[in-house]
Amino acid sequence: MDSVFGKRLCSLLVGLAIVAGLVLLLPKKGNAIPAFSRQYGTSCSTCHVDFPKLNDFGKAFKDAGFKFPKDDETYLKVPPVMLGAPAQKELWPKTIWPGTIPGLPPIGLRMNNFFQVVGRNRGRFGAYSAPSSIPQFIPRTDFETGLFSIFTAGNFGSEIAFWVDDDISVAGGNGNGGLGDGYLKFVNIGRFMKLPKDSLSLRAGQFELDLPFTQARSYNLSGYDIYQQANIGAMNSMFSQQNVNNGFAFANVAQGVELSGGHSYGGYHYSIAVVNQNTSGVDQGSNNSAYVPSATGSNNGGVGFASDSNFKDIYGRFAYRFNLERDSASRNDVQAAGPMGPRDHTSLRLGTYYFYGRSVQRYLGLTPAPASASTVLTAREPFYRVGGDFNFNYREFNAYGLFMYGRDHNLLPVDSTGALIPLPISTILPVGFFHGTAAKFSGGFIQTDYMPLPWFMATMRWDSVNASADRINGLAGSTAGSFNSPFNSTRNRFTPGVQFLIHANIKTSFEYQFRPQQAVLVVTDPVTGLPVATNPFRTNAATVGLEFVY
Amino acid sequence: MKRNTLVLSVLVLALSVATFAGDIKGKVSGVSGASVVWVEAIPGKTFPAPEKHPVIDQKGLMFHPHILATPVGTTVEFLNSDNVAHNVFWTSISGNKKLGHNLGTWPRGEKKPFKFEQAGVAPLLCNVHPEMAAYIVVTPTPYFAETDASGNFTISGVPDGKYTVTAWHEGAKNQSKPVSVTGEATVDFTLTK
Repeated sequence: MDSVFGKRLCSLLVGLAIVAGLVLLLPKKGNAIPAFSRQYGTSCSTCHVDFPKLNDFGKAFKDAGFKFPKDDETYLKVPPVMLGAPAQKELWPKTIWPGTIPGLPPIGLRMNNFFQVVGRNRGRFGAYSAPSSIPQFIPRTDFETGLFSIFTAGNFGSEIAFWVDDDISVAGGNGNGGLGDGYLKFVNIGRFMKLPKDSLSLRAGQFELDLPFTQARSYNLSGYDIYQQANIGAMNSMFSQQNVNNGFAFANVAQGVELSGGHSYGGYHYSIAVVNQNTSGVDQGSNNSAYVPSATGSNNGGVGFASDSNFKDIYGRFAYRFNLERDSASRNDVQAAGPMGPRDHTSLRLGTYYFYGRSVQRYLGLTPAPASASTVLTAREPFYRVGGDFNFNYREFNAYGLFMYGRDHNLLPVDSTGALIPLPISTILPVGFFHGTAAKFSGGFIQTDYMPLPWFMATMRWDSVNASADRINGLAGSTAGSFNSPFNSTRNRFTPGVQFLIHANIKTSFEYQFRPQQAVLVVTDPVTGLPVATNPFRTNAATVGLEFVY
Repeated sequence: MKRNTLVLSVLVLALSVATFAGDIKGKVSGVSGASVVWVEAIPGKTFPAPEKHPVIDQKGLMFHPHILATPVGTTVEFLNSDNVAHNVFWTSISGNKKLGHNLGTWPRGEKKPFKFEQAGVAPLLCNVHPEMAAYIVVTPTPYFAETDASGNFTISGVPDGKYTVTAWHEGAKNQSKPVSVTGEATVDFTLTK
């Protein structure tokens, strides 16, 4: 036997044995029964292609407020509990409008575990160990518990939907995950104004922005890099400094209200949200004011909160999905009529989004001369994120992508003479701010999914983020021992992966992440006198995830 | 005298008819839920296709009825009464994959007919809702019965003769037994998974 062929055959057999072993070791019984499966007595795959990725029906179910778009009551296997007879409606306003609660507490639980192998670079980090300190270390292999989350969602009748999810445990710790989304959605409130059906809904609470592709309920092991991009301006004194410290990222949850309309399974869809801004002011935890009640409860004066500003950030999104079926009846239906049964539409969705906000930073400063009294200066830094996205679906093939451009205004502190104050501010106190060179970044991702079998999906993603400030900050940091700074202004990451559904509610995933180049050593360029990163390397990582919901 | 002769003749005729059309009674045990029992094909004997078209409905994400027993040659009509899209397909009939069929997609509220030309059990599935399942038991003769809640059955109108009777239950192994019908016969089955 040819030795190369023999090695490949061995590798294939070992791979198959690992997969077979994994399958054999896992529980054999049990179907997908999270919150909605229990209510409707149906499989996860009614709404999901590969959980939590939604199929067209799942999108319609979500649009309708977590219920079947039509005749929902006929599908419920567990009847809801009436909070008032329907005839009570006739008595209103002399009675409470009757609603319902789900007959079973609609609770779903989600747990995942990971195993990770990181590239051969950990030996290099020892060079940056400070004396008497613990050596820097990235584990080469690592078993890790992921999220244990609880989520509950459903409908209270009268087209009022709810969703709450909370990470009870992260990485084995207790209660350190916190609330994800927690909101009420008043579906189709446009009916009160005689607007077209589903043209206006209202959501209030804490929620993920209406992103083109969800991060909070992503089916990928690793997040989209651009969604995690916070704009931290260049801080290295060797470069033109930027006084930008904006922690806002699209992956963050937002608190506020959102108006939305349309459908995500076809036609138009829009949303406009007004959400809290990202500030460096008094956070709720530091709220000691006797005059501002706290949200934490009775000992702190009941319900209230410290607010840093009345200004709210604004997010808007518009998308249009073209269902490309030839038959018009099929084209306008929730699912397309295929020759072998209903299926997701062949479709192309094009969208755009825009976020406008203010990033607030506060400094100890001086009032203008001649008073020169101590004061608190506030830099309200305007910023925006704008971009576009596409999503193309053909049978088992799905390709989608997103581009984002981010820009922060950059207000540089100036002293009483109008001269720029070197950052970070130390001895010289500012009296105001001057508009400097904006801090910008751009990037996005493109992903393709292919599902040759209903239980197997192959994925490939390219993430790219271009931010010179990130590289500059990394170089600055590296002199103090950073080992994870980007080597180039553009960070590319390629992530091939596969996902297997063992059952409709149990999934194992694998990703290999070709990470961006990182700097190991920084030397001073003898010509320019600037720091230059050398010995670049990549901490590529292979990650296996095992996830189940029930 | 004439009257007595007439009464005797009617009695003899009635007895002979009763002898030609007997019942097969029995009980299916070892399983819970409905089973189907039928008389296997009778050599040299064919039966006309039934004119009645039974309906399999999809309602509330379920097939109704869950089990339909019907003789070979029957045209079954498939209906979707739900406001969600459904599909009906079966991968085989009694394990014969060549007889698998997919009815595709058709407008809701309309019926889609299919004629079952081969005897056997067609396990119905829906490609949108994998939890949905039903069975069409296509019997080779019109002599069949579905068991009641206790597992009892009666196949009526079976002519005298020797036959093979088969019992089927979803998830259990089929069981066949010979039976000789002379007016009435009894046969019991204990099915195992």
